[in-house]
Amino acid sequence: MEGQVGGSGEEFAVGCLLSIKTTLGDEFDGQVMAFDRFTNMLGLKSGPRRNIRLLNANYIKDFSFLGQADDPLDPKKCFLDLSRLQAREHLAVRQAEADAQRIGVGVTTEAQNIFDALSKTLPVRWDKTVIVVMNEVRVSSPYLPESVSGGTAAANERVKKVLEFERKRLQARGSSQG
Amino acid sequence: MYNGVSFFTVECEVGFMCGIEGRGLLLLMMNLQQVMPPKSTANGFGRRRGEREGGTRLESKSQSGKSNSGRVTTTGSVIGSKSGSCAVSSHDKLLYLASCLIGLSVEVQVKGGSVYAGIFHATSDEKDFGVILKMARLIKDGNFRGQKTVAEFVSKPPSKNFIIPSSELVQVIAKDVAVTRDGFANELQSDKQRELMIDSLISQTRHVEERELEPWIPDEDVPQLPELENIFDDPWNSKKWDQFETNETLFGVKTTFNEELYTTKLLRGPQTEELEKEAARIAREIAGEDTQDLHLAEERGSSIHENLGIDEETRFSSVYRGTGFDDSGYEEDEDIVLNTHNNETFGDSSGSVDQISTDFAIAKSSDGGQLSSSSFIVDEAQTSQSDGTGADLYCSEIPSRNFSTLDSESRVQENLLGECGGNNDAKDFVEKQPLPEDAQLPKSGDSQSSPNREKAGTIKVGRSANATPYSTSHVLSKGNEKTSSHGEPVDVAASCKAPGEPQSVNSRGRPGSSASSNSDRAAATSASSGPGLSPSSSMGSLSSEKSTLNPYAKEFKLNPNAKSFTPSQASARPLSPVADNAFYHPPNVSAVPHMHGLPVGFGMGPSLAAQQPVIYPQIAPMQSPQTYYHPHGPQYGQQMLVGQSRPVFYLPNYQPVSNSHHLKVLKCLTKDEIISWLIGLEHLCGGSALLTERNPERLLGIIFWEGSSAVHEIAIKPGSKKVLRDLSSSWDMIL
Repeated sequence: MEGQVGGSGEEFAVGCLLSIKTTLGDEFDGQVMAFDRFTNMLGLKSGPRRNIRLLNANYIKDFSFLGQADDPLDPKKCFLDLSRLQAREHLAVRQAEADAQRIGVGVTTEAQNIFDALSKTLPVRWDKTVIVVMNEVRVSSPYLPESVSGGTAAANERVKKVLEFERKRLQARGSSQG
Repeated sequence: MYNGVSFFTVECEVGFMCGIEGRGLLLLMMNLQQVMPPKSTANGFGRRRGEREGGTRLESKSQSGKSNSGRVTTTGSVIGSKSGSCAVSSHDKLLYLASCLIGLSVEVQVKGGSVYAGIFHATSDEKDFGVILKMARLIKDGNFRGQKTVAEFVSKPPSKNFIIPSSELVQVIAKDVAVTRDGFANELQSDKQRELMIDSLISQTRHVEERELEPWIPDEDVPQLPELENIFDDPWNSKKWDQFETNETLFGVKTTFNEELYTTKLLRGPQTEELEKEAARIAREIAGEDTQDLHLAEERGSSIHENLGIDEETRFSSVYRGTGFDDSGYEEDEDIVLNTHNNETFGDSSGSVDQISTDFAIAKSSDGGQLSSSSFIVDEAQTSQSDGTGADLYCSEIPSRNFSTLDSESRVQENLLGECGGNNDAKDFVEKQPLPEDAQLPKSGDSQSSPNREKAGTIKVGRSANATPYSTSHVLSKGNEKTSSHGEPVDVAASCKAPGEPQSVNSRGRPGSSASSNSDRAAATSASSGPGLSPSSSMGSLSSEKSTLNPYAKEFKLNPNAKSFTPSQASARPLSPVADNAFYHPPNVSAVPHMHGLPVGFGMGPSLAAQQPVIYPQIAPMQSPQTYYHPHGPQYGQQMLVGQSRPVFYLPNYQPVSNSHHLKVLKCLTKDEIISWLIGLEHLCGGSALLTERNPERLLGIIFWEGSSAVHEIAIKPGSKKVLRDLSSSWDMIL
């Protein structure tokens, strides 16, 4: 609401296009969608991608006015479907939990890469810093073929082979990128 | 506070959001349950005064003629505007924006420059704007200036709930957010797609928030055309449908299909028929294998446990609802799943092993114990301890079962060692349970109340045909162990006993045939591992399985130098209990009326005590009870013992059990073993036909029926479950 913003809120009128620099060094453009002067939070919409940014106006180091446009939030078109939101949240949390299972805590990125590579074809999970394949074969640091232990001979062999192969692949990829 | 709207608590969990604009705009009515205290520390949030206030305020505001006053729930809540001139306060807009972010993955930058990524959960408000994230993790550490990503290590798992107080909050960034209805529509679609819960996702998830599944009922007004449904099912349909022909007729399309492009070319030659038969046999075996995997069982047409309340999802989908990767125990399900996976992954060689262990596990579970294939002994103990029911079950099976013998036997031979070590999948029972057999035996003996408990591993075999082969092998192995100082059996036993070295089963080489496993396996294992414990137990437990011999059973190798078994000494202790219940006899032996008396088993006599104590090192004392004595055996036995290095079969101290028959299925032998064995047998029994000499390839097992002084030989085709014939012809029992 244009009129509602008082004081220094003028420039934060809804619909304004601003270019902002934050005290932390971020720079971006955006269109003001909302501003709450009580909390001093500015809601911006950025770019063509519909990125939303909620910025604490205290951290605005500098800004410049780029233009004025209409209120991007048309009240008639705004709906909130809470059930959908909740569902979305739940789904996201589920996904995140599943993903978290795949991330090893306290392992190097190399180890994580190996884990990811192995997980493409074998069921793997982390056990602290040990990769457990199919619940029986264990690959511990430094995740070399020698570090593979456990399981039946066939399983062991297979994990070794996959590990070697993946390592080669990672090396090749790494060197090509590096 | 302008116009009285006070709180924004976008707290989705509760389901309602309250944000009210004094001037008549109502975003949503929300039930404020958890207001994030902007100043709270990151240890959870509780109700705040804001909430309380909010409640009252809400009340007071609610009558401002909002279009959606009252508790408007979710769907389609609208920010209704009373009139075009009603403005939405900026605060509300902010709130609205924040609400749009719920459930999205956002990045939050805090004062120090660090950036956290997580799922936007809630914001709080009143005077301050703080944020709660779920599953948050640090992605950019403000301390490392210029570093884009967190250093090498992920130092800790994501936080379930991460609170960022307003004093710390710099900005919240969300990408690609829909804020208006147009945007919503697109998002809805993508949401729906993302919400597709595939089986593996369901299996992984720990939340149980899925929708209620309802069985599908076809519409009534859909025309039912039953004749269309099973058009290809009729095997008697003489007009075999040829798709190529049809295509050509209908559309004039000529096929260039050549089967050999896609598969191995079949070489048809003089041996075709034989090969085909062999292939068919193997196929039958595999198809007839028992499995605990519900899906495999269904494919093979085995009956499912209808009474176990297995719902459709378990039966038909690949959703696995278990403890996931927690190797928490020897749960059947886990076994099943993991075993299956392993089977698929590793192919047959390990597959059979897996299956065996699975089967075994399953078999065992029927006894209430959790078996791991490897721990036959354990199983045994379990069985014995659990109750006699297993045994009972076992017994009752006898009449009905087929002798599945020997393919198991052969497997047993080869795999005994492997089995000991191999019982793979995840169940390191062998390792974990060195199974003090000695302990077990007496235990079993003691615990046995029913005669069925013949812990000494006797004749669980008896239990049924399935059991039989097992038993045989079992017995055989036992005998073998005892009689001969075979390296292998002994080793096997030893190795089984020494869990430290899980032998790789696969390396032992399994015969290609299916692992009829379960009890068989168990039996074999037990044979190797412990005196008769396992087979019996396994047998018993496997009553429901049409198991065959233990594919893992160690191959019997005749040790011509084996010392004769002298039961006298060690027999004391376990013997009695063993003897008494030594042979498992089914209470309802109607089918084998002539069976009675001693189960005939053979210990390759000499082995036993002295020389092959190794066989069951742990069960040394049990050795004697282990052996099965032929009722008339001792006489011969003694003779044999004295002078002979040949395998001798006799049953020490066997006490006949009335009305029962004990069937011991001997382990598979190699051809040479069989020959020498039978020669010994001939001596023992006064010379029965040793057909095996003529057809050594065919005889893979010898079954001795108790209660008769003759040795019945059964010719069993390798790998099959059927008895070819009873060579002694005095045998009228159908196995």
